[in-house]
Amino acid sequence: MNVLIRASFILAATLGVVGLAAAKPWWLRGATSNDTDFLPPDVAFRVGSRVDGNVVRVRWVIADGYYLYRKRFSIAAESPDLTVGEPAFPPGTLKTDPYLGEQEIYTQQVVGTAEFKRSDFGAHPMQIKVTYQGCAEAGLCYPPITKVLFPQNAGGPTGQVLGPHTAGPPPTWLTAALLSGAAAFLLAGLMLRKGRRLPTPN
Amino acid sequence: MHSRTWRVAAALLALVVGVWVGLRLHPHAAPPASGVRVPAGEASPPVPSDLDKPWDPDVPPRVSIPEKLPEFSLADRAGKPTPISTWQGKSLIINFWATWCAPCRREIPLLESLSRDWGTRNVQVVGVAVDYRDKVLAYANDLKIPYPILIGEQDALDAATAFGVESPVFPFTVFTDRRGQIVTLFVGELHKPQADLILSIVQNVNEDRIPLATARHNIADGLHALAPNPSS
Repeated sequence: MNVLIRASFILAATLGVVGLAAAKPWWLRGATSNDTDFLPPDVAFRVGSRVDGNVVRVRWVIADGYYLYRKRFSIAAESPDLTVGEPAFPPGTLKTDPYLGEQEIYTQQVVGTAEFKRSDFGAHPMQIKVTYQGCAEAGLCYPPITKVLFPQNAGGPTGQVLGPHTAGPPPTWLTAALLSGAAAFLLAGLMLRKGRRLPTPN
Repeated sequence: MHSRTWRVAAALLALVVGVWVGLRLHPHAAPPASGVRVPAGEASPPVPSDLDKPWDPDVPPRVSIPEKLPEFSLADRAGKPTPISTWQGKSLIINFWATWCAPCRREIPLLESLSRDWGTRNVQVVGVAVDYRDKVLAYANDLKIPYPILIGEQDALDAATAFGVESPVFPFTVFTDRRGQIVTLFVGELHKPQADLILSIVQNVNEDRIPLATARHNIADGLHALAPNPSS
């Protein structure tokens, strides 16, 4: 048992050293996270959409320390035979910037809504195009982001859950990963046993 | 330590590596490419929802900075195609910015002063605006920005991504030595103490006082020392 504990300790130390070395390249390691680190745009601003009756709702979840500009949003039709009305957004927070003037921004999250009409009775999958733009308080901005989304019916069998949750890999792939790990484990054991000799009586 | 311990450790390592390799081979492990386009480009391919993706705020965007200044050419303020090699032989401060970006606007007075103070020492400031041409011209003329500005939309974004930042954010500033080697790339708003630190080290490289690798480490250490203490 002691052997297993010691081995686990060595393993943890090895992985720790490798992890530290691989965590960040040198040019990002030099400064604290507020200085040069930044989130990928899809992590800083996550977006999802759903349909409620004749209204499409688009929700953005905004990471701490990041914000989106109210006047930079758009929700438009992408699929044929779809008409999307003028989107509505709730009042934001006023941010005064000496270089851009007074701006209305959103932090944490925001839901935009727009009425829509479909003239094809659902013959085409519904697609909308959303555009948004934001910045980090740390002093950097993301270019405008444009995405095509498939809004799902709320509560339907394919209804999309609007809330942060993690989507893990499908079980089959997880099984494959674990099996390959176990195979590597056994193989390593066999290789390490090679050349080992039982003590022979003199 | 007992050799058996090492064998068990090796076996455990093999187990972890095996699982890791398995997960890496998993087709969903690689996130889809970002949908960032500037300033009015095409939409990204349809995606169901970012809210379905795992949230891992500890993973910064992939950055792989080239060793040498990549070649690119963009229109200048007069509309003339201008390759970046126009300033070959000079140490460059290449500032990527846009008019819609408040920190970029805040940075411009500093870049003007760097252009003034370092211009006589073979250092050239070049602005690269990733934005609509008319907006950039109006803003640059209004401010009477004294250093050269190259302007573009998708072509300027391509130039930005050539510096190895997967999803460019603005502003970011590239510092090269006189041989066109990239000494550092600074992401976010640049302030005077940081600029002075980086430029003094770049000058040491230009005068062959320190090798490039040492310069990069000195910059990293110096920026770390300048960074505000999170506990204070």
